[in-house]
Amino acid sequence: MQQEVVLALLAKEPSQGYQLRARLDEVLGPLGEGLNAGHIYVTLGRLEKTGMVALEEPPQGRTQLADRKVYYLTPAGQERVFQWLSEVPWPRPDLAEFHLKLVAAAQAGLADPVSIVDAQRRELLRRLRDAQRAAMEEPDHSDAALLLEGVVLRLQADLRWLEACERNWIGRRERL
Amino acid sequence: MTSAVMTSTRPVLRASGLCKTFGSGAAVVRAVDGVDLDVATGETVAIMGPSGCGKSTLLHLLGGLERPSAGAIDLAGDPVNGISERALAHLRRTAVGFVFQGFYLMDELTAIENVELPGLLAGRSPRAARARARELLEQVGLADRTGFLPSALSGGQRQRVAIARALINRPMIVLADEPTGNLDSTATVEVLRLFESLHESGQTLVIVTHDQRVAATADRLISMRDGVFVDEMRMTGGSRGNLGKLIGLEGE
Amino acid sequence: MKGQVVLVSRLAARDLRRRPVEALMVLLVIAAAATTLTVALALSGVTNQPYQQTRLATAGPDVIAVEGGVGGPGPAQPVSSAQLAATASLTTAPGVTAHSGPYPTVYSVIRLRGHTVDVVAEGRDRAPASVDQPKVTQGGWIRPGAVVIERGFADALGVHVGDNVRLGGRSFRVAGIAVTAAVPPYPSSLCHIICPFPVPTRTLGRGGGVPNMGLVWLTRSAVAGLAGSGNIAYLLNLKLANPAQAPAFVAQHPGTFTWQSIQSAINALIGIEQVALAFGGWLIGLLALAGLGVLVGRRMTEQSKRVGLLKAVGATPMTVAGVLLFEHIALALAAAAVGLVAGSLIAPLLTGTGAGLVGTPGAPSISVSTVIIIAVIALAVATVSSVVPAIRAARTSTVSALADAPRVPPRRPMLTAVSARLPVPLLLALRQLSRRPRRALLNAISIAVTVTGLVAILASHAHIPIANLTISNLKVDRFNELTVIITVMLVILAAVNTTFIARATAADGRFSSALERALGATAGQVTAGLSMAALLPALPGAIIGIPLGIEVYHLLASGTPLTVPPAWQLAGVFLATLLAVTVLTAIPSRLGARRPPARILQTE
Repeated sequence: MQQEVVLALLAKEPSQGYQLRARLDEVLGPLGEGLNAGHIYVTLGRLEKTGMVALEEPPQGRTQLADRKVYYLTPAGQERVFQWLSEVPWPRPDLAEFHLKLVAAAQAGLADPVSIVDAQRRELLRRLRDAQRAAMEEPDHSDAALLLEGVVLRLQADLRWLEACERNWIGRRERL
Repeated sequence: MTSAVMTSTRPVLRASGLCKTFGSGAAVVRAVDGVDLDVATGETVAIMGPSGCGKSTLLHLLGGLERPSAGAIDLAGDPVNGISERALAHLRRTAVGFVFQGFYLMDELTAIENVELPGLLAGRSPRAARARARELLEQVGLADRTGFLPSALSGGQRQRVAIARALINRPMIVLADEPTGNLDSTATVEVLRLFESLHESGQTLVIVTHDQRVAATADRLISMRDGVFVDEMRMTGGSRGNLGKLIGLEGE
Repeated sequence: MKGQVVLVSRLAARDLRRRPVEALMVLLVIAAAATTLTVALALSGVTNQPYQQTRLATAGPDVIAVEGGVGGPGPAQPVSSAQLAATASLTTAPGVTAHSGPYPTVYSVIRLRGHTVDVVAEGRDRAPASVDQPKVTQGGWIRPGAVVIERGFADALGVHVGDNVRLGGRSFRVAGIAVTAAVPPYPSSLCHIICPFPVPTRTLGRGGGVPNMGLVWLTRSAVAGLAGSGNIAYLLNLKLANPAQAPAFVAQHPGTFTWQSIQSAINALIGIEQVALAFGGWLIGLLALAGLGVLVGRRMTEQSKRVGLLKAVGATPMTVAGVLLFEHIALALAAAAVGLVAGSLIAPLLTGTGAGLVGTPGAPSISVSTVIIIAVIALAVATVSSVVPAIRAARTSTVSALADAPRVPPRRPMLTAVSARLPVPLLLALRQLSRRPRRALLNAISIAVTVTGLVAILASHAHIPIANLTISNLKVDRFNELTVIITVMLVILAAVNTTFIARATAADGRFSSALERALGATAGQVTAGLSMAALLPALPGAIIGIPLGIEVYHLLASGTPLTVPPAWQLAGVFLATLLAVTVLTAIPSRLGARRPPARILQTE
């Protein structure tokens, strides 16, 4: 489980582990069925170690059960979230991370999902241009040309999805 | 979003406040709803948008194939809106070259006869037109197919002939409406190569497309929605140094 | 089943409503053809019936005996009593069942309003005769001091009951107007069959031939008074037991003629007009066919895409054919109805010669067979227009019909190379023509036929000068009237054809015209190109029409020397035709070039 995703989910409000899992389930739909429940807690543990996340103090005297612990973002964690939102990494074999980025940003009110999509689109278009240019400079049937063609086609496919995302999020915005 | 392009030279094309409405009363459609556009010499501008956003209509307005309901268009200083039909035709012969999605070649003419046609319409001598047509077909890589009929050419080849045809009268600006819309990916690459070489030779291009590959070749990418421009991107930069990022070998 | 019918009718109705101008043009072309045919058919049955009716109404004779001087110029010979007795013996010849007469008949001259016309005056009894009693249609029968005039003659003279005329120097009052079957009506006369009178040289018509003579009836005494120097002939009317035996009877007895020869004389008279009408009818028929040819060809190609669509949504071949047929039959029947009505209005204008015979003058009825024939032809046109695309579609795959790949026009490198050297409108015109050569041919034929007709009519007028319009040249008048009507019909039909072809060309070429404009041709050049595309085939058509018209007239008017109309008239027809084509095609061409090219080119 990508650490930044959990961080971003916590950005909305401090939550318990199972609440985070429930939100993930909702957002991922059937794709989330493979998720092991335990992964969240492992990630949360890691994040606590690096100081991005902290546990709320339990009410006096009582020890908390593992899944009743409430986690919240530390300032370091918040900073990491913002950083993550403005990054435009690619390629990732799965789209879930970007998808979750958008959802988390919208739910937490951190950023306009549409501008996130736009930023990513620009980046991908630039990469597409580069890949295309490189592909055209290669001799027609070389191995490099084939690989570049694959890169181009993937980028094209991703761009199409990004356009769909944009339409979707704009539509949601207009409906509000 | 207006594009106030600060260029050292005067823009080849300048459009301001362009509007085009169809229909009337309750069924009125604002295909183009207030568009400003400046295109500098030698620039390639790509206009993208979902279908029905008005980009094709915009192109038709720029090329004089349709008259705007409001607004002004200027081609190298000469106005395009409000001029007579005759002057518009003159414009289409000398200042503007059009490339269509459906190629629109005459089925009964060979490649070279198709290319020379606007030249003949512009009043050039048959010899001069034929010579220039041959030159252009060479330029687009079809020197060995000048005598072929369109039915004997592939989609990509036909579009290249159409592009050559658009260039015969040395237009100031070439307008292309979904040039790769009817082409498969191999043919698309052929056409893209051609556009790149045209760009290198300084031809001004305005391309309407929904294909990101075509858009990626532009200097400027404008997004259009519901008859207005909503975004603009300068596609500068990008060097081969960044190519390593394109594949995931570098790890997280 | 009912659902199918509703669907079919709805599809057909929608299509008609979507393109009303198209439907209207189809209607016009078929209606024009139907009108022509109606007129031709109505005329073919004109004279036979009325003559039979007249015979019946007037107890017409089967054989008429003429006793008097031999026909031809020369001094008169009084009838001897021996001759008279011989004539009288005919009444008792075998086979004769009844008779009337002999009646005295003289040649005289009638003067009316400054005109002088030759007449045959027959003396009659006031009491009705058993054979050949002329039927009075206006006024009353003869009485002293009064004359009864044969109806055809009366019409030609413009004379009415109660008028005064001068006959052989005496004044008579017109008592009535009647018809008879014993003598062919004006402008024919007794003298066309057997002429018992010397014919004064002055009234010999130009170019020989017997002059027109009218027929009047007077009392016996009045005729005797007119006789003057004794050149009286006698007419005896005989009725046979078997009218069909009349020719045999006449063969045995010289100086007689049959009722069949009267019929022939009438037919001969009508004959000239019938030649003119037949000729005109053929021309107009050809024009109609040319127009229909273009129409059917066009409809057939248009329907292919529609058929493909219907097939794609699951219509059976039956349904497809049904939709097409429904639409075409509706149009064709409407057009046939219009044609029948128009034809019935026009035909009377062409049949004035019925005046001398019983039966409503000038109103040949549209018989049931005419209606049936017209309807059948209209249905045939409709069927061909629908069935062929339906069959074709049943054979081709749905996909290719839907793709509607227009048949690639044949390649003509020579034409393309030549047209490149020409100014832009000619370039566009030549290329337009090369795309549809058959239509250009039909256009040329249409014009050729029209010019042929006009030139032939001019030639006939050159042969018979129009200038002389006295009453004795009423035959010429009649001919002129006919030719005017035929000319008008010809010109109207040619105009319909030309406009239709021009419109079809502009509509079919809409896409290439828009493309040419997008590539830089001005709207003016495109319009000029379309006009020239109509004018260029018209040129050879008009040129061929001139010698053809002269030759055709030469063939029809057998025996006359080759008549060539004056050069200025020929030039006039030629130029007027080209001008008319230019004007008629200008409007559809212009309309075609008006819309902004973008709309037409849009594939979305």
